[in-house]
Amino acid sequence: MSAPVVTELLDEGTVAEIAEQAWAALVGEEEVLVPLPGEPPTDPVSSWVEVVGPWTGAVVLTCGRDTAEQLARALLGEHAPEVVDGEDVVDALGELANVVGGNVKALLPAPSVLGLPEVGAAPSPGSPADTCRVDLLWRGQPLTISVQGCALDLTEENGVSL
Amino acid sequence: MKILVADDSRVMRQIVIRTLRQAGYDDHDVVEAEDGRDAYDKVHAEKPDLVLSDWNMPNMSGLECLQALRSAGSGVPFGFVTSEGSAEMREKAADAGALFLIAKPFTEETFRDALDGVLS
Repeated sequence: MSAPVVTELLDEGTVAEIAEQAWAALVGEEEVLVPLPGEPPTDPVSSWVEVVGPWTGAVVLTCGRDTAEQLARALLGEHAPEVVDGEDVVDALGELANVVGGNVKALLPAPSVLGLPEVGAAPSPGSPADTCRVDLLWRGQPLTISVQGCALDLTEENGVSL
Repeated sequence: MKILVADDSRVMRQIVIRTLRQAGYDDHDVVEAEDGRDAYDKVHAEKPDLVLSDWNMPNMSGLECLQALRSAGSGVPFGFVTSEGSAEMREKAADAGALFLIAKPFTEETFRDALDGVLS
């Protein structure tokens, strides 16, 4: 039996709903994700978690570096320092991918294993048929979440392990 | 009372601690651990009344930490706060002796529902 493709397992609306719940709980109750595409960021950064199981791939969050810093500041809340350091940005972006990824994994065939979050240049997506991507705006800035089949070795040296 | 919060993400530890406070548990001491191994050591050193632990962590996972604690004879109340809340994970958690599993993303109500019987 061939491996399932992700578009047979979940749709864009479900991924957007998971992201909205994560944002409301972690970023802030008033924080809204608008389901509209924006101009791609010129300085993108991605965080992702790998899922290995009957469906193998990654849940990838991509945004601009300024957006990533604003997300880290929002997650830290009152504990956010005046200048958020790079380690906190990596940590916050990775944790958002982890929470979205964990909830996506629950909808995928079991048994599967979730990896630890990584941050860096996005892993290459698999085929369009094995990719479920949502384009969103947060505070007017573009942010994408892609549940994508594995095209290449996801453990290649393009990320920072958290 | 003392609560040990174990998560490899410093940002998530801050969010858990903030949510504890928002849920009304603001008069407890909080100790932080950055992975399962650190949590295991701090259970022995700090003698917390409750452990709130992430599942997926480097060095030693939350589940391995709980299993190691029970093997060593520790009965410290232990709950998971994790991004994976499937029935399979909840069953594994319960089998290992966890009192509850709070799935991320969580709210202060989720915390109150899980913790009221433990910390009251």
